[in-house]
Amino acid sequence: MARKKGVTKTIVRYLLLIVISIWTLAPVTWMVSLSFKGPTEWYAPNLIPIRPIIDNYISLFIPTSPIGGSYFFTSITEPITKPLINSLIAAGLGTLFAVLVGFLAAYGVSRYRAGGTFVIFFTLLTRMLPGATFVAPLMVFYSSIRFIDTYAGLIMLYTAVTLTYAIWLMKGFLDEIPPEWEEAALLEGASPWTVLRKITIPLTKGGLAASALFIFILNWSEFLFALVISVTQVTTLPVQISKYVSAVGRMYGTEASLGLIATIPSVTLGYLIQKHLVTGFTFGRIR
Amino acid sequence: MGYDWWHAPIAGVPRFIEAFGDARLFWALIRTTIFVAVVLPLEFILGLGMALVFLGDFHGKRAFTSVILYPMMMPWVVVGLGFYLMFQYFGPVNLLLLKPLLGEGSMIDWFTNPVLAFIVIMIADIWQWTPLMFLIIYAGLAAVPRRLVEAAEVLGASPVRILRTVRLPLIKPLAVVALIIRGLEAFKVFDIVYIMTGGGPGVNSTEVISLYVYNLAIVYNNTSYACAVSLIIMVAIALVTRLAIRPLEVKVE
Amino acid sequence: MPKLVVKNLRKVFGTFEAVKDVNFHVEEEETLCLLGPSGCGKTTTLRIIAGLEVPTSGEVFLDGVLVNDVPPQKRQIGLVFQDYAIFPHLSVFENIAYGLRVRKIPEAQMRKKVNDTAALIEVENILDVPGKKLGLSEMQRVAIGRSIVLDPKLLLLDEPLSNIDAKARERMRAELGKLQKEIGIATVYVTHDQLEAMTLADRIAVMRDGLIEQMGTTSEIYDNPRNLFVANFIGSPSMNLMDCEPVYSEGRVVLKSGDFSLDITEFAETIKSKSKGKELVLGIRPEDVSLDVDKTDPKAMEAEVQLVEPIGAKSIYHLKISGPAILSKDRAMPEVNVGNKVWATFNKNKLHVFDKKTEEAIL
Repeated sequence: MARKKGVTKTIVRYLLLIVISIWTLAPVTWMVSLSFKGPTEWYAPNLIPIRPIIDNYISLFIPTSPIGGSYFFTSITEPITKPLINSLIAAGLGTLFAVLVGFLAAYGVSRYRAGGTFVIFFTLLTRMLPGATFVAPLMVFYSSIRFIDTYAGLIMLYTAVTLTYAIWLMKGFLDEIPPEWEEAALLEGASPWTVLRKITIPLTKGGLAASALFIFILNWSEFLFALVISVTQVTTLPVQISKYVSAVGRMYGTEASLGLIATIPSVTLGYLIQKHLVTGFTFGRIR
Repeated sequence: MGYDWWHAPIAGVPRFIEAFGDARLFWALIRTTIFVAVVLPLEFILGLGMALVFLGDFHGKRAFTSVILYPMMMPWVVVGLGFYLMFQYFGPVNLLLLKPLLGEGSMIDWFTNPVLAFIVIMIADIWQWTPLMFLIIYAGLAAVPRRLVEAAEVLGASPVRILRTVRLPLIKPLAVVALIIRGLEAFKVFDIVYIMTGGGPGVNSTEVISLYVYNLAIVYNNTSYACAVSLIIMVAIALVTRLAIRPLEVKVE
Repeated sequence: MPKLVVKNLRKVFGTFEAVKDVNFHVEEEETLCLLGPSGCGKTTTLRIIAGLEVPTSGEVFLDGVLVNDVPPQKRQIGLVFQDYAIFPHLSVFENIAYGLRVRKIPEAQMRKKVNDTAALIEVENILDVPGKKLGLSEMQRVAIGRSIVLDPKLLLLDEPLSNIDAKARERMRAELGKLQKEIGIATVYVTHDQLEAMTLADRIAVMRDGLIEQMGTTSEIYDNPRNLFVANFIGSPSMNLMDCEPVYSEGRVVLKSGDFSLDITEFAETIKSKSKGKELVLGIRPEDVSLDVDKTDPKAMEAEVQLVEPIGAKSIYHLKISGPAILSKDRAMPEVNVGNKVWATFNKNKLHVFDKKTEEAIL
């Protein structure tokens, strides 16, 4: 009798797993399918393209090239190389600065209780508020210092926005290292910088890397602020996607291929730090 | 751009009073609240369900787990894009799901109806964030000491009863934190709404609070009013969270 | 009919044989103790009886019924874990009532049962306290109460006193003993503490490496250990063990070890017939080595005192008798000090001789 119950349980479980997997994979599967389809098939329900093409991907870089053999009209005329590079630069440098500054700040908060409870509450508060609430003052400020549509503006913004995340995450990792080890080194005459270099950083390397990757994912996916301050020069990939969607002349296939390209970095990095994802998304409150 | 803000006239208090009479703001708040009120419980329940399916050992557990996690890693706009493509009139949801099941004429134009469009937006959010709830709840369930489960077994409890009386009560504090964190994020939703409906159909039938403030600041260029609304929202959220989190934090400790 | 019968029990984890071949039975109202060092398989055996582990082979019978395929929920056995496993989120009352609620016992009846049991284990005044706030001994009582309130057929206890500090342990041991007599359920007890076993059990099964080395009543095990392991394990301080060899000369048999010799001619027959080799081990419990300041017994041996451990009314004397070190546990003699010479007599009736190779008792 116990045997039978085990078998039903297993069958049910795998059935549910399959259902869950289909649900999870559905959107991406459809996007993959679309991205290899020609315009004639864009409105058809078949998953596997009858005549698969890669023109959707190519036309992202050469917008005036034919798709599926015929020219298709859209109001987007720029290739996506610029937005792609912009995203990389903004996310990359933004992450770099956020991690650098954030690490030092986190060290201060963790070891020296810098800022007291106010810092903790404040960083939490900034995460709580909708980004949109900062848009108006941001516009005012940026336009007055002429940072609109500039790399400096975007990078500075990304750094600022993810700084609180960086501090939170790294503080968590730093807290796990007993301060006694650092104190022992200090007693032996090492300078605080040496202590950082030789002791703290090697010990928290994993956590720091995970934090950096997580913040990169956040910056890469960031949309609202990029939308607000970019006009033509510093459009990032997400902004470009929104332009495609609202463009005159909808091109499903190209939208799909663009979307897929945009997911590659964040999903790849996401898998690298799989274990730390929960820590990141919950400010380390859970773990 | 490039106003000379230093010398601009001060708009003053009337802006704040204006906010209280603003119907559009009111509706944006309502919509956002409805969004959170629907999405949060569903994400929790589905996450719990998924965690239960994953409880225990079985072949391919690691593989399935990896698959389940990736929605969280996708940029939010792409999630919006993906669902936008799926729910197009000639898209797979209509063509592969509704037509075969409910026959000709059951295809829906999702994005011309505000309620339906809103539902699609909610589905997209649920799709993306249920895995997070799943991870948190699963970790909590797995952390329940085996001894307690065994003790309950010896006392005669069935697996369902053990779930109800032992496992779930023990993950309650964890669940509360997860709900709060996810709830706060849900309130800020912007990207998927912008991509899928832009606030439409029409002018603002699916406008959430973030989108409204954005529109005020950028589209209508009503900067001073946008700031006023922003401040009100800031104060409101700070107050609500301060009040709500304090007692909960004490309890969790 | 015995309440519990365990037959040819064997349990393998991967390549590790935790339980090799265990057989025993427990009668109604009897307390059996599984005694042995860590890793000997006693806890595994207990878990198999409870139904938490499935034996690789062998059978378990409860009240004459084979229960191998019966899940733990249905076995009507009480199990008290080593760490008590009290539900931290439930009150003491709810913890005890848990099993009753599972069986859907009507409210009034349930309340009475819980209160009665609570009185028995003396937790009436903490019925509302949540599980996580209890102290260790309170947890233990609640764990026991939780099991016995269901009138189980059999009660299993896994090292119940291991978590309690030494001082409280004495008291808990006494309480446990008292409780057992009052309740009267067949009990199987697992421990590595031989003192616990000796005071609380009717019968003891000494286990080592998945096998029962010897089973019997407390006195049987103490007085007639079947092999070196059992002899050494039981008794505090442990039995004195000395390698020696028998020397036969002029019709007399003497056990010699270096300069030490003990005449055991009265057991000559037994020694000659049963000893397979020339290597034997002589065993004598410290309590059976009596000391005197003067040589009152002509056969007494001269011993030099190396160390005195006073333990109250008695003292443990570390002696050197012509070479080998011997422990004696005798009455306290404050006049005896390190370096003194005393006269030691071995109680001949309490001698044990073991074959060094097979480790079995010959005497």
